[in-house]
Amino acid sequence: MSHNGDELPPRQQPGYYPGFSTLAQRDTWDPATREVVLARVEATPTIQYFDPEAALFWTGVFDHLLPQSDRTPERRIPIVSVVDRRLHDDRTVGYRFTDMPPDREAYRLGREAIDAEARSAHDAAFVDLTYAQRDAVLARIHDGEPRAAQAIWARMSVHRFWQLIAGDAADAYYAHPWAWDEIGFGGPAYPRGYTRLERGEPEPWEVRERRYIWSAPAGAASDEVENVHAFHLESEQHRSHAKDASRS
Amino acid sequence: MRRYAENDAVDYVVVGVGSAGGVLVQRLARAGFRVVGLEAGPFWDTERDWVSDEAGSHQLYWEDQRVTGGSDPLALGANNSGKGVGGGSVHWASFTPRLHPSDFETYTRDGVGVDWPLSYDDIRPYYEQLELEMPVAGPAYYPWGHPHGYAYGPHPMGGVGNALIKGCSALDIPVSIGGPVAILSGSHGDRPHCIYRGFCIQGCKVGAKASTLITHVPDAIANGAEIRDRSMAYRIELGANRRVTGVHYFADDGNAHVQRAKAVIVSGYAIETPRLLLNSACAGFENGLANTSGTVGRYLMAQAGNVVLGRFEEPVRMYKAPPAHALTEEFYETDPRNDFARGFAIQTVGPLPLAFAKQMIAAKKAWGWGLRREMMDYNHWAGFGLLGEILPWDDNRVTLAEETDRFGIPVGHVSFNLRDNDKKLIKAGKDKTMEVMWAAGATEVVQEARYAHLVGGARMGHDPSNSVVDAFGRSHDIVNLFVCDGSVLPTQGSANPGLTIQALAARTADYLVSAGDSIFTSDARDLAPPPLRTSLAPPATWGKGVPRLT
Repeated sequence: MSHNGDELPPRQQPGYYPGFSTLAQRDTWDPATREVVLARVEATPTIQYFDPEAALFWTGVFDHLLPQSDRTPERRIPIVSVVDRRLHDDRTVGYRFTDMPPDREAYRLGREAIDAEARSAHDAAFVDLTYAQRDAVLARIHDGEPRAAQAIWARMSVHRFWQLIAGDAADAYYAHPWAWDEIGFGGPAYPRGYTRLERGEPEPWEVRERRYIWSAPAGAASDEVENVHAFHLESEQHRSHAKDASRS
Repeated sequence: MRRYAENDAVDYVVVGVGSAGGVLVQRLARAGFRVVGLEAGPFWDTERDWVSDEAGSHQLYWEDQRVTGGSDPLALGANNSGKGVGGGSVHWASFTPRLHPSDFETYTRDGVGVDWPLSYDDIRPYYEQLELEMPVAGPAYYPWGHPHGYAYGPHPMGGVGNALIKGCSALDIPVSIGGPVAILSGSHGDRPHCIYRGFCIQGCKVGAKASTLITHVPDAIANGAEIRDRSMAYRIELGANRRVTGVHYFADDGNAHVQRAKAVIVSGYAIETPRLLLNSACAGFENGLANTSGTVGRYLMAQAGNVVLGRFEEPVRMYKAPPAHALTEEFYETDPRNDFARGFAIQTVGPLPLAFAKQMIAAKKAWGWGLRREMMDYNHWAGFGLLGEILPWDDNRVTLAEETDRFGIPVGHVSFNLRDNDKKLIKAGKDKTMEVMWAAGATEVVQEARYAHLVGGARMGHDPSNSVVDAFGRSHDIVNLFVCDGSVLPTQGSANPGLTIQALAARTADYLVSAGDSIFTSDARDLAPPPLRTSLAPPATWGKGVPRLT
């Protein structure tokens, strides 16, 4: 797979908390929590819902939604298998927006639309594009400005579809204890609890932050973030800040 | 636990053992009534079933499919609905402010919303009771609305609370610290004190945070109530003489059952209560049971819940301490200088990594490498939550969708649309919350627009033509059918609804206990307020070393 993440030397543990390990605290966790968290590390679910082509496709998409080329291969966090399990179980968040189909259908239509976007821009299937080309295709979905598959986007909100797949990716990545180590989150703390509540002080078993320059690979489309605070209503905040800067 | 036979007509079936249902079954059982609480979700074994983990806690929320739309669609699920004994009180952050006296007469004062069929003075004794029964920790003097104090000590501050204090103080805004929140700051009876692990909305495995699962349901069972879990009610049966006779429900195995009862109380919250009434349509009530007014499902309300996030140079580590630990209600009341009626509160929030990642995706459109980088700064951010009053509108409503759930029951369809007053209020509240975050010293401030809580959908009122139930929760149409939960609220203020829901349940219970068997035998409708019963509280919850209600 052609990543251009070479500028970041792969680390076992990215982030500003070198040596911090939530898993090292596992003996202080309650058994039910320990079982749930360890399963994420030790028992990656096998793909059951996606067919092999769909699994390959979504693996490619999630490589951009939550890129991990700065992680050493054995320390990459499984994403597509976690999403696959949710869809296999048909487990939802408890609601569906009227401008969205059910989640399984959204994933099916979304794959069709992203592939159409890839073919319209580069005359090739998404999985056959270079990393940079894939980045550009997904950036158009992220920006809410797809050029192809208008029939699909008429049935499915591009903004909510993006929220769905970006949220699923984040749910898988940031539920993993290696991601907690990366961001310095202390993780489960029952029955021991936290005792340093103020001034951002670490517990004795936590690690002080040691910052360094962490930069995304050159040219990564997802390097930029916006600030959409001008939009005080949920129904508006998917708009692009740049285009609606005059609103407040 | 006592078990009742299905054909044994118990006195009350309570549908939904959550914030209101938990208090109701406890009061009614203690008063000697034969009560069955039907709960769609499980009876939790907290040590076995709950985890200190965001992704592992999804079963606490109502995950069955619903449909949500309108011009300003509401996120549902984890955002605002619970499943399992304790209901939403299992995963609430447990801020417990009271409504203000003005909330009960917004129409008279401001010409917006609607007046309640009861006043602050009517509910005040029940606020005082429930604050001691949960109990609520907070400052000795709370200045807003009807000023009052809390008997149980406030919590120590965490990083987010300190940011709120700093920002408010810089702007001369009073702020309440350490509560009011229904979390124990010191051990109480057999319940331990808070350990500040931050997983309040994933269910308090510690037992320090109040939920009716631990505050009221044990006493209900000790007094002969049956809690029948994994029992999904789908139809209330109407018998002769316009009286209901029982509740049809599906057990977990899909088998249909019916529990006979002399009276039924629906406590399913703002979506499931209207859904059950609408699904119970029958001859004489073609538009839904107790719905001759056409009001069932209408006047649904959520509060503006914009989350404002500020990045600080020094670490905050906002996952420590309860998300709920400081707030200001300085902007709660109508201010004639504003171009809108009513107001808002500003409260601490403490999103854990999954919630924070979604906020970065929404507030900064972060993805990919950008999301990774923002998340590496997680420990530098603090979060404030706007809590803004959205007014009741008749077209914000719950109807039935064409889709059905796994039992074949039509699911709820929620439609939500903001009006001019709501939009102006949200903008002003968002701007003020951001101003406080800047004043706290943040170097970057962003926000995610969203909503919090749900109330309305079966509102109470004097007038049977535009409300579903009276001031005690009794349906205008059917004398032995009650609604008691958040859905009866006519307006919502800028207070988290949990305390008000439980206080109304205690008031309805006092009414039912005073009325006795007449509920089952008489068509008379007595609207005189009942005497306050201090004998029905769970033992050792108050009157032991704390101020005694007289």
